[in-house]
Amino acid sequence: MNRIMKNLMQRNEFYISIAIVALSIAIQLRSGQFFTSNNIVDLLSALIVPGLFALGAFMVIVSGGVDVSFPALASLSMYATTRILVDTNYQGGILLPIVMSLCFGAILGAVNGVLIATFKLPPLIVTLGTSSVFKGIMQGVLNAVQITVIPPGMSSFGTAALFIATNPQSGLTSRMPVAFLALVIVLLIVYFVLQHTMYGRGLYAIGGNEVSAYRAGFNVWLIKFLLYVGVGMISSLAGLIRVCMMTQAHPTNMLGMEMMVIAGVVLGGTAITGGSGTLTGCMLGTILLVMVENSLILLGVPTFWQGFFLGVFIIVGMGISALQVSRAIKARGALTRRVQQ
Amino acid sequence: MRRTLAFVLVLLMVFSMAACSSPAGKSKKSESEWEIVVVPKDASNPWFIRMEVGVKEFAKETGLNVYQKGTPEIDATLQSQLIQDLIAAKVDAICVVPVDPGSLEPVLKQARDAGIVVIAHEGASLKNVDYDIEAFNNEQYGAFIMDNLAEAMGEEGLYTTMVAHVTNASHNEWADGGVKHQKEKYPNMKLLEEEPRVESEDNGDVAYQKAKELFKKYPDLKGIMGTSSYDAPGIARAIQELGLVGKAFTSGTGMPAANAELLKSGIVKSLTLWDPALAGKAMCALAVKVLRGEEIKDHLDLSVEGYTDLTFKEGSTTVLEGKGWIVITAENVDSFGF
Repeated sequence: MNRIMKNLMQRNEFYISIAIVALSIAIQLRSGQFFTSNNIVDLLSALIVPGLFALGAFMVIVSGGVDVSFPALASLSMYATTRILVDTNYQGGILLPIVMSLCFGAILGAVNGVLIATFKLPPLIVTLGTSSVFKGIMQGVLNAVQITVIPPGMSSFGTAALFIATNPQSGLTSRMPVAFLALVIVLLIVYFVLQHTMYGRGLYAIGGNEVSAYRAGFNVWLIKFLLYVGVGMISSLAGLIRVCMMTQAHPTNMLGMEMMVIAGVVLGGTAITGGSGTLTGCMLGTILLVMVENSLILLGVPTFWQGFFLGVFIIVGMGISALQVSRAIKARGALTRRVQQ
Repeated sequence: MRRTLAFVLVLLMVFSMAACSSPAGKSKKSESEWEIVVVPKDASNPWFIRMEVGVKEFAKETGLNVYQKGTPEIDATLQSQLIQDLIAAKVDAICVVPVDPGSLEPVLKQARDAGIVVIAHEGASLKNVDYDIEAFNNEQYGAFIMDNLAEAMGEEGLYTTMVAHVTNASHNEWADGGVKHQKEKYPNMKLLEEEPRVESEDNGDVAYQKAKELFKKYPDLKGIMGTSSYDAPGIARAIQELGLVGKAFTSGTGMPAANAELLKSGIVKSLTLWDPALAGKAMCALAVKVLRGEEIKDHLDLSVEGYTDLTFKEGSTTVLEGKGWIVITAENVDSFGF
């Protein structure tokens, strides 16, 4: 029992879970609205886009890089997809838009992949650059403007509900978007790849030590290249879902999300240096940030203080979890030293 | 020898620079050499795309070198960088719609020191400008939005206000004007004291999420007064999803084409607006007048619809106000062509 507790105490997920529970209780006490079916559904629906982004960002960080281009990549690919479909007066279902945006995502991701894997340039610098390039293509070449009427197939997908949650007291309803399934499916795929394939092992190995991974026989180039292609596809899907759910395409309103998403992933205990981190932690960290971001009014934080509150929350949250983990590691180190003596 | 030459060259450069930047008369160049640049908040918001239509029209009508140049996103820092670039490029007039007026002051001062004419729009609080044009008196426009919201709400119930940022000058003046008007004219309406003003960050998704939170936390809330062109559509999405159509209401600024479906479906009864194309045109026309050295006084006529009788705002020598507001409803939404 004691050992289980101790083991638990060394895990970052444990602290994040405590923070989530504490925050839920705080919101509930302040508003009486947290544990209502429609509020939970609202949060899950707000989680879809950041959640997908977080899965991509997580894999890149595990591999020892940082990707800051995913919002720009998603914006470009969703914009191109929507523009083409609107211009051709597309009347069909959601399948073609999804396939198209996955293709765009793969192509744009491959650009990152080639620059990072083939030319061995630092991922942060590359993605900062490609982020500007993607934005530039969108605004310069495509002359991006807000598209207010999107193809019917896309808007009906975005507004389709798995079920509708009704709050018995207030009578407010919230719908659980079908798009939530996309997050679940992608999450399952990423889980399978990371936990049950050689590719996933390779990703962690590269993040730990690229040279060792190479000597151990991993094809470092291929792993990295496929990583960025995959992340591009996931991000594009997120972008498309955002458009469908808002039933309009706005070229810039996803930009700037990268910091929140990366903060969530790191908050979940993923080492920014690469090589370690769990999918559970990544999702919990993202959930925590989405909760904070979408509950400031429920918490009663005044408008003027919301940015400040969010920033302090991230710093304190990350500080505490980093401290606990490093303390745990130190304790373990002391123990092994004693055993050796 | 080489050193002397270098010294002479440096001297020459310094003098020529000084000569160029001396704040000489505003119209030393001939009119065809003037370069007038309009800097909107960003380049992709349909609002400013519409503004560009007016700017282009003005350029075509007058044959002057007038164009619009925006930053890729709504960002105060990017905007001030762009203006610095324009100062370096020695344009003759800058017409700007500021993202964050306060943070733009130092850059605009640089521009004026360099002899550039600065005209602003939606920046009544700015000090370092030649003139600021407002489509209307901000307080009166706020009252106008409030009239529309009150009509939808049946002149009673709890409401709150939404602005892009609490630092945005115009949005907050509209909201203040709306609240003041409500207190005078609609005694049965009440401002939500706990959250009198929320931010939408000029982002439809944020407006939607914030509105959802507000309606959840305050079940009595009956209306939200929007200001930014993203507010009312975002709030309307929340009203629809929460099942509050007919129970909760919103009104605010909005573009016709973007909101045609919302208006026709009845979720939003009316939106208010002024035509950004005309505002852009008016800025350029005023810039030209200033560059020509014409006298700017009350009852100024810029020959632009809604801006034919501009008057100075009370107690101000820089802020000019027109009478350019319009209301859009399901009936007239298709008649604007933008």
